[in-house]
Amino acid sequence: MPASIEFRGVSVDGILHDLDLRIGAGEAVAFIGRSGAGKTTSLRLINGLATPSRGTLLIDGAAPRDFIPLRRRTGYIIQGSGLFPHRTVYENVATLPRLLKWDEDKSRDDAKRLLDQLGLPFEKFATRYPRSLSGGEQQRVGIARAIIARPEILLCDEPFGALDPIVRRELQDAFTAIREERNATIVFVTHDLAEAMRVAERVIVFDQGRIVADTAARELPRHDAPAVRALVAAASLPS
Amino acid sequence: MSANIARATGEHVMIVAIAVVVAILIGVPLGVWAARRARAGGAALRVVDAIQTIPSLALFGFLIPIPFIGGIGMRTAIVALILYSLLPVVRNTVTGIRGVEPSVREAGVAMGFTPRQLLFEVELPLAMPSIVAGVRIATVTAIGVATIAAAIGGGGLGTLIFRGVAMVDTRLILAGALPAAALALIADVVMTMIERRLIR
Amino acid sequence: MKRLWLVVLLFACSKQPIVVGSKNFTESDILGELVAQKLEASRCTVDRRLHMGGSLICDAAIASGSLDAYVEYSGTALTAILHQPATTDRGAVDRTVTAAYAKRSLRWGPNLGFNNTFAMIVRRDYAQQHGLRAISDLRKVQSEVRPGFGYEFVERPDGWPGLIGRYHLDVAAPPKTMDLGLTYKALAAGEIDLIAGNSTDGLIDSLGLVALADDLHYFPPYDAAVVARTDIDRKCSGASAALASLASTIDDATMRRLNYEVDGKKRDVAEVVREFLSAPRGGGKP
Repeated sequence: MPASIEFRGVSVDGILHDLDLRIGAGEAVAFIGRSGAGKTTSLRLINGLATPSRGTLLIDGAAPRDFIPLRRRTGYIIQGSGLFPHRTVYENVATLPRLLKWDEDKSRDDAKRLLDQLGLPFEKFATRYPRSLSGGEQQRVGIARAIIARPEILLCDEPFGALDPIVRRELQDAFTAIREERNATIVFVTHDLAEAMRVAERVIVFDQGRIVADTAARELPRHDAPAVRALVAAASLPS
Repeated sequence: MSANIARATGEHVMIVAIAVVVAILIGVPLGVWAARRARAGGAALRVVDAIQTIPSLALFGFLIPIPFIGGIGMRTAIVALILYSLLPVVRNTVTGIRGVEPSVREAGVAMGFTPRQLLFEVELPLAMPSIVAGVRIATVTAIGVATIAAAIGGGGLGTLIFRGVAMVDTRLILAGALPAAALALIADVVMTMIERRLIR
Repeated sequence: MKRLWLVVLLFACSKQPIVVGSKNFTESDILGELVAQKLEASRCTVDRRLHMGGSLICDAAIASGSLDAYVEYSGTALTAILHQPATTDRGAVDRTVTAAYAKRSLRWGPNLGFNNTFAMIVRRDYAQQHGLRAISDLRKVQSEVRPGFGYEFVERPDGWPGLIGRYHLDVAAPPKTMDLGLTYKALAAGEIDLIAGNSTDGLIDSLGLVALADDLHYFPPYDAAVVARTDIDRKCSGASAALASLASTIDDATMRRLNYEVDGKKRDVAEVVREFLSAPRGGGKP
């Protein structure tokens, strides 16, 4: 079941100032803004990789005390994928199932289905090592690894940033296709406006540690905040 | 004579093996601890480094008057060898663990690994080639340093070398030196093979 | 001006340093220092290589010319260096050694005046406990006694191998070997039970040790004597005369006392020797 996320007066010294934000269960939100605007830090607060200096974070209405159980219900996809180099593709994907002590056959079946869906036929890729894969292939494995255990929350930190535009587009499509069947609350950090509008319904714009816009994705080009205008102009979106 | 060589070789292998195993048991956890802490870890590395700079004969000599671990004989020799073997093991453990890609470590943390799981599932396996290299260096060094153990009654192949030097008897010297060199070579080759296997 | 430099050069050349060595134990250091200071008193320049190594090392050095003089013991020269069978006939030993050394361009002598034989040493309480008074008594403890020696004694034919052969000892434990100086510490600490020390050692009494009598007269005499290269006067004209003046200057008791000054009282070797040389003759204690 997807979880709701709420920030109440959250600050991180020097980076975020008094953030108030509510994300409903099952929503897909994009965090967007310039580098250093605070979007990545906000994302990392959700699974405890960053700590607030002030304010409260609530997941499903409760402040998490121990992040480890929460992280096991949260998918985390990053640029560069962070795949374990000493494990095969299958072992990487099956990391969380193994940790959660799933049945071996169930892991196998789910991994197979996921990898096939993501365009990496299981028979060809299961026993390969990450270093023998291209950047795009690695990131597909990263996606599979993050969502195989049906997380309540899916956090993505510029996952397609280091890939070329064609591969990036393919992955965005694969991502949207997959996430429709996996019911999770999604927070997607990106600096690419077009990508934000493709993967999310709601876009939150950060500037200098504050939220300056929070609208439906398709309303964004019409927004009048200066930071948003600058983003739209830079992205040269078709209007 | 060959019985002497066989016994001396056996003693030599034994004191080196015990010392290296204990150095691993102390050094790897110490290295893991030091890798996590920048300042205390740096201090620990400096201490271990300083021990290595003490000339081996002097270190054996220092240990003699210390109660429990000192005195004359194999036990003191093993203690000295452990101290000598620590630096390569600790340093290589630190390098190996710090060398784990930050994104890989973060992926593990984000997946909900406990610190212990992170250590055993991610950090140690990735640090293993470096750690084995450290063990290899420690072993080869220990085989050489162990020849000094004979000066304090520690046994081993050094006994033959010292006797040979005292009697100006080249055959005796070689009877000690050649097996020692062979042991060092074998250890180096075997461990390099293990390292290569691990780097895959 | 040029003639002056020539004279200085010639002068310097005529006074090449005499290299004096010693073996790696206190008594040998003291005797080496004694030889050195005597030579210096006769205006010779001396290069000291004390505590160099064992008997064989010093012998190899003097035979090759790297050493010019050191103090050796007659029994050691006879058995370990010349590989002759041991005998207790003092005269025969002297004659054999003197003649053999002359053939090697080495002068044997003069005798310094004392005999430092190997002493098989045990702890006093160990001796009392097992009723050990002579080396033959070791047969009573041969299955459990733990011997420990320096590298030379365990290898020399007149050392451990010959001893257990002559005394028919079947010692179960193989001897531990270590630096000679450490054997006393190890014995006193109880880590070993039997060592081969020197009869003139300074620490036997003070460490609670006792020497076992050589009842089968296994060991030959070990009269201390200066060994020097026969061409030593070429390096310094007064050298041989200086060495000859050392004849019969030290008896057993004096050697033991000098050893104790260094080993027991931890005094500096050079200082002890200086004091000895400046004291009135006749072996009087200061």
